[in-house]
Parts: sequence; structure tokens; C-alpha cells
Amino acid sequence: MATEIGGIGVSVKRKEDARFIRGRGNYVDDVKLPGMLYMDIARSPYAHARIKSIDTSKALAIPGVLAVITGKDLVPLKLEWMPTLMSDKQMVLPTDTVLYQAQEVAAVVATERYIAADGVAAIEVDYEPLPVVVDPIKALLPGATIVREDRAQKNNLIWHWEVGDKAGTDKAFADAEVVVKQDIYIPRIHVASIETCGMVASFDKINGKLTVWMTTQAPHAIRTVIALVAGHLGLSEERIRVISPDIGGGFGGKVPVYPGYVLAIGASVLTGHPVKWIEDRSENIQADSFARDYHITAELAAKKDGTMQALRVKTIADHGAFDAAANPSKFPAGLFHVVTGSYPFEKSFVEVDGAYTNKPPGGIAYRCSFRVTEAAFTIERLVDVLALELKKDPAELRMQNFIPPEAFPYKSVLGWEYDSGNYGRALKLAMDKIGYAELRKEQAAKRAKGELMGIGISSFTEIVGAGPSKHFDILGIKMFDSAEIRVHPTGKAMVRLGVKSQGQGHETTFAQIVAEELGLPVGDIAVEEGDTDTAPYGLGTYASRSTPVAGAATALAARKIREKAKLIAAHLLEANPDDIEWKDYKFQVKGVPTKSKTMQEIAFAAYTNHPQGMEPGLEAVDYYDPPNLTYPFGSYICVVDIDKGTGEVKIRRFVAVDDCGTIINPMIVEGQIHGGLTMGLAPALYEQINYDDDGNIQGGNFMDYLLPTAMETPNWELGKTVTPSPHHPIGAKGVGESATVGAPAAIANAVVDALAHLGVRHIDIPITPWKVQKILKDNGVAE
Amino acid sequence: MRFEGTLDIAAPRDRVWSFLTDPKQVTTCAPDVQSLDVTDPRHFKVVVRAGVGPIKGTFSMNVEFTDLQEPDHASVVARGQAPGSAVEMRSEMDLTAIDGTRTTMKWSSDVTVSGMIQQVGARLMQGAADKITQQVFSCMKEKLEAPVTA
Repeated sequence: MATEIGGIGVSVKRKEDARFIRGRGNYVDDVKLPGMLYMDIARSPYAHARIKSIDTSKALAIPGVLAVITGKDLVPLKLEWMPTLMSDKQMVLPTDTVLYQAQEVAAVVATERYIAADGVAAIEVDYEPLPVVVDPIKALLPGATIVREDRAQKNNLIWHWEVGDKAGTDKAFADAEVVVKQDIYIPRIHVASIETCGMVASFDKINGKLTVWMTTQAPHAIRTVIALVAGHLGLSEERIRVISPDIGGGFGGKVPVYPGYVLAIGASVLTGHPVKWIEDRSENIQADSFARDYHITAELAAKKDGTMQALRVKTIADHGAFDAAANPSKFPAGLFHVVTGSYPFEKSFVEVDGAYTNKPPGGIAYRCSFRVTEAAFTIERLVDVLALELKKDPAELRMQNFIPPEAFPYKSVLGWEYDSGNYGRALKLAMDKIGYAELRKEQAAKRAKGELMGIGISSFTEIVGAGPSKHFDILGIKMFDSAEIRVHPTGKAMVRLGVKSQGQGHETTFAQIVAEELGLPVGDIAVEEGDTDTAPYGLGTYASRSTPVAGAATALAARKIREKAKLIAAHLLEANPDDIEWKDYKFQVKGVPTKSKTMQEIAFAAYTNHPQGMEPGLEAVDYYDPPNLTYPFGSYICVVDIDKGTGEVKIRRFVAVDDCGTIINPMIVEGQIHGGLTMGLAPALYEQINYDDDGNIQGGNFMDYLLPTAMETPNWELGKTVTPSPHHPIGAKGVGESATVGAPAAIANAVVDALAHLGVRHIDIPITPWKVQKILKDNGVAE
Repeated sequence: MRFEGTLDIAAPRDRVWSFLTDPKQVTTCAPDVQSLDVTDPRHFKVVVRAGVGPIKGTFSMNVEFTDLQEPDHASVVARGQAPGSAVEMRSEMDLTAIDGTRTTMKWSSDVTVSGMIQQVGARLMQGAADKITQQVFSCMKEKLEAPVTA
């Protein structure tokens, strides 16, 4: 029956694919309005420089260039700065100093896209270069170049954040039988979604209404931010409409507000015309929010028998020139303190220093729930370092230490309450699937012959679904989410949500939740998101929060409808409501299957024959404030072979066992995991955005920034266990990010394992052929 | 990036000196000069078209002779911009008279390139710089070694 209606657990084909695979999606750049103008942005070639003058006359002389906006033009409007989501502020356009390469310096509005670009080329800026600081460790030293002269505090420390028992942890380390310590750098990377960011802003001067189509993962939050930033100019929230049309990948990069958005809106208000701004690829990679960039020192204390006791982590977080991360306000380092991972540490202390540098701002969560990838990588790498120290098998060491299944709900030493888990079962399944014992034998035989093969494990615990409003907010707005369901008289339904799909398949999965709860066929349920004029308020889609939060709201809104429907069923069946039961996706008189009403019959009655005294109609809204986060987990095992000539790492096999609780659509979950694993492979072996000492971006285009394609991607072998979340209405936990979080450590551990007999204990990602080849050469084993 | 080299020129040192320190003469050997504006004997502005691989731009360069020790040593700072890119060159030049008709020029240049040219053209930079240097020097040799005309 669930299969017929397309309820929970069914691999329903994605409704949205009908338009996507025909090229009929509707993205921001597809929006074309009459009289629309185009905007392009002039950017700084310097990482740090004083602007002595900006000459716009040649640009304005180009036929078709209608306006050039500079920082000075924004001052009377009080728009030269805007707030970030992290209690910092960010320049929209600089008035006197640029702080990173590719920073916005001026905007040109023209009748055509190419003319706008010509206008940008004709702007002459006289810069006086200033000293540059690109390394966050140097940035925190006394005497370092000050990045943010606008702050009262004359150093580059943004904040210091710590959690845990410092004295107790220090004592545990002092008393420990074994201590391992590892420096780990998780480099700056970029989400590089296939669709870059962009906006069409249309301001109607007559009624003062602003409509924007834009690439945002959080349309309601953006509407509120626009009202807060530009409220003093008369843009008030009831006259702001934000529409997120189809989005070609977000991964956290489409959560922040970028200067280009503010400028496009300003340009539309200024000219009275709709204005389109679409970034090009280099602008996207060079100036939009980066991810990661954590310099970590991690230490683990254990007993000689391998029992893990204490964890101490110190991190320097490079946030670039502005703290423009998108973390919940109370957590400047996100949820990094889930770094104790899948293990029951008795003591732990974690501290993070945020640093300013002359690099683009950010620190967003790239397909992970606020710094969880950094946390998972750290602990899973460190466990392998301990295994090497103790000469223990890394699988055995994990099995020995896992939080046992009977300990859930489990309160971690740093304050999280893990909802459910069975880590040993997931690792055992992964080991069985890949044939772990055989692989270890093969490795020993190969090593004897001088061949390099490695096996790496990552048994990660995620933390997603922010969040309980008592702990989580963004700019003060609590991190609930919402669903509104309207069942029409003919038994079809419309579901509107506060979240916004960027490829996750919401139109299908949320329809499946409603199908399951109301017994309506999935094909009869339309899901709509991304229009703030119609959707209920929500905080948007990131940090794997859609299913844990909006999915719960959807189930609960549907249950409200079902409660009312039950009363209508009783009325139609002339029975007492207490004698009515929900069975086989319809209401029936208890024990009398022949006396039943379908939801379609009830929907019709709700508008044509409702009980007197009852409100007509059949709809409900739910704003869901989750009682806790959810904790998906998994165990990944990777097998690599290393080419002794080139240093190239070849992934021979990769088994991923995931547990995301109740699975709504297995096909979509598999697709999410495939994509996530590829985005976990990327930083492990390929991706990094580096800077030279002058702050020049090394990797600001796809020639230098290697995104894995089908050529690089191995065959992913998936497995699953199901441990439902006890507090979620349907037991679901979220899965979109697990693989990105879990995969890098499995790959890095496999490479280190292949080289461990040479004394290698750690290699910073991305593990490029050059790095491996150097190790092989230094050890005299290169061919 | 640092570039350096030695060039033998079959011309007397004073002639080489006056050529290299005269904005009007020396810029005749710069690549694709669009305009020259001499502010004073030590400062001039020259607009040149140059590029690295596919990235070409019109560079507006402000040039200053920061040190002139006639007849054998000069320091020059040139700073300029093209859309999306910026360049700064700090160059030194020492002339040694081999005899009355021949001069050795020892030169070095520290070049900092920022922006698009650096990002996209970094791996082509050395080749492009060598090519430009070669063109400039062969032009200079040609002009300086030509018979003096009245």
C-alpha cells in the first residue's frame, strides 16, 4: 500500500527531474523582465591597498552605461557597510581601503551585459598597496599588519571561544599512559556550485514593492536581512518579496548575503529598472564565502590498552577580512565541539581563535552542519594516529572505544545529547562488505613485495537539524522551520515550506511524508518552496536541517489535518470519533473495514458537508521547534593503491555504510550519498585555494581548482543501517551531508596506512601526487 | 618574481646612459606604447599594451627614476594597472665601460603582479617576461649600436 501511494520508504522518482532533465528548470539567469538592466562589478587586484581615487568618467562615457556606483555613493544611504550573520560587519563597497583580492570596488549598470563589463574595464582606480597578511597564525602575532583598522580592537583576533573542562583535561593528559599529538591543516576550499550566485532585483517605484529573484538557500532570512539593512530607506518587510527559483547547488555558499545582492537592489532602486547581476565563475570562486581553513592541533590521551580518555584541541580559524560565516549566533566555531565523535571521552577541552587575514571573508559550512567536517576529520585522523602509536588495528581500536548502543541517549562530555546510535553495527557491516580481514592479509603480502596499498576507516558521528530554539538562532531568529498544508476539495494537496531545495529533491520527499500521513497519492501532492509571499516563515535549507526540522513540521501539520479529518469521518460514517481508526491509509469504524472513508472523500466533505459547528476547510500549519539535534552516523572504509612512480593515489574500493534513521526515499538518499562522497573525495585529494604572500589567489579558476568529475570519481559501494531518531516524528535524521563529513578522513587514513611502514603518520589534505611522491623519494622507494 | 641579466652593447657608456635615462628615448623600446607623458626628468607616465598568454591589457604605468648616479647606476620604480590587474617593477641597472666603444649593462628587476594576470597567467609569466625582455633589449642594442647620425 505504501508503494502504491508513494509513502515513506519508497523510491519514488523525483518529481523535479521532469523539468531538469529536459533543460526546463527556471534559474535566476532565466528570469528576464522588460526593461531589465545588467550589473557588473569592478574588483580589487590587490589584497590590501588604500584607494587614492576612483575615476569613473571613462566608464560613464561608454554609450549604454547608465550608472557607476562606488563606496562614496553609498555613504549618504548608510549602505557602505552591512551586517554579517556573525555579529561582524562587511563592506558593501570600500570607501578608502580594500582588504582582499577580488573585493568589490565599484558596480556598473548598463543596458547590456557586455557593456557593463566594458564599463568595469574602463574604471580607473589609483591604489596604494599596503602590507598583506595571509597566514592566520602570523596574523595573531604581535606587530602583525592590522586587517581591520575600522575596529577599536587593534589586533586580528576576532574572538576566542572555548568549551570543556580545561583543568580536568590537562590533568588527564598529565596522568595519561599514552598521549598522541597531531597538527592538522584543513585547507580553504570552495563549494563551487555549478550555478554561480546572482539576482534579479525589481523595484516598483509606484507602490514601493521590491521583488528579488535570487540564489538563496534561506529566502525568508534574506527578506528579513534586507528589511534590517535597508529599512531606513523605506524598504519595509511587507513590501519585500524574495523568490528563490530553481537553484543549481548551494552547499552553504548561498546562505550569506553578498555585496552584489545589495548593489543589485540599490541599482534597481536607483534606476527604477529591474537589474540583473550574475557572477562569473572566477568571481564566484575568488570572492564568495570559502569553507574550512582550520589550523588544528589535536591531542588524545589514552591508556596503554587503547582506552581513549581525554581529547584536547586548539584551533586557529582563518575567517578572512570579515567574519562572514553562517553559524548560529551562539557558536562562532559552529558545532566543532562534536569533535569527540563516536567515542566516550571522560575529559575534553576545545578552544578556537578566529583570525582576520587579507583574504575573502567566510567560514561557511560546505555541505556540513557548521564545522562538523573539520571535527569529524580531526577525531577520525587522530584515532588512526593513536592506532599507529599503539600498533593496534584501527578497526579494533574503534570497536573497543565506541559509545555502546545501550548508552543512548548519550550525553557527550562537551554537552551534546546524542539521540541514538549503533556505531559498532555500522562498522561491522562496512568491514563485512569490503572483506576487511582479507584486505589486511593482502596488504601484508603486498608490503612484503614493496607494493603500496592502504586501508582507511572513518566512523563519524554527525550533528544536524539545528535546532532547538533555546540554543540556535541566526541574527536572533530562532532556528525553527515550518510547513503549511492545504488539502483541496478534490483531494489534492499543496504543501508549502520554509526551507528551500537546491537539488535535494524536496518536491518528492516532502510529498512522500504527506502521502504517508494522509494516505493521498504522492502524485497528487504539490510542494512549493522559495517564495516568501506564499511560503510560511522558515530559516532555510543548510546543515542537513530540512528533513529533521521542516520534515517534522510537515508530518505534524499533516497529523493536525488527520485529527480534523477523523472528526469529519465520524460525521460521515455516523459514528463516535472514538470508534474511528486510521488503518490502511483511510478511516474506518473500528473492526468494520467496509465502513470507511478515504482522505479524498473527507476532503470533499470538508468543503461541502462539514459538521455543523466545525470550521470548514482542511488545512494546517506547523512551526516546529525541535527538542534536540539529530545525530546521523556511518562507517566508511576506503582502499587505496599508490603509484610509486607518480605518487598518484588510486581509490580501489570505497564502502560507505550510512545510518540516517528512517529513510523516506532510498533512491534520493543514495543519490545524496553519492554526491556527498564525491564532495568528500574533492578536498581529500584535489581541492585547495591557496594564496601567495601578496594575497594573490592560487586556484581562483577551474584550471587551478580541480573539481572531481566522473574521471576522478571511483565506484561508491553503499550500505545502510537504520537507527531511527527517537525524538523526530518520523524518526528521520538527515543525510545530505554525512558523506562529505565522513569521507575525507577515510581517504586520508587509507593513504597514511599505505605509507605507515615508512614512518608516515599524517599528510595534510589535499593529498596530491606531488606530496606523496616527495614522501616516496625521501624514503627511497619512488620508482 | 626576480629577473636579472647582463647585456653587452657596442656603444660608449655615456651614450647608453643617456638613452636609458631619457624617458622619450627609452620608451621607444617598450612594448606597444600607446602614449607617453613626461612630467619631469625623473617622472613619466607611459601607457603600454602587454599581456600574458590570453590575458592582455592596457597598462598605465607611472615610472620614477628613484636614484640616478651618472654615469653608471640607476634605480627605477614603475607601478601600473590594467583592469583587474596590477604590476609593480623595481629595477636596478649598472653600466660598466669595457672600453671606449663597448658597455656592459647589468640589470635586475623585481616584479610583483597582482590580480587576474597573476591568477590566470602565472605559469605563463616566465615565458612572457623572457619574450618581452628579449624584444626590449634587441631593440635597445639595435638603436644604440646604429651609427650615430647627426
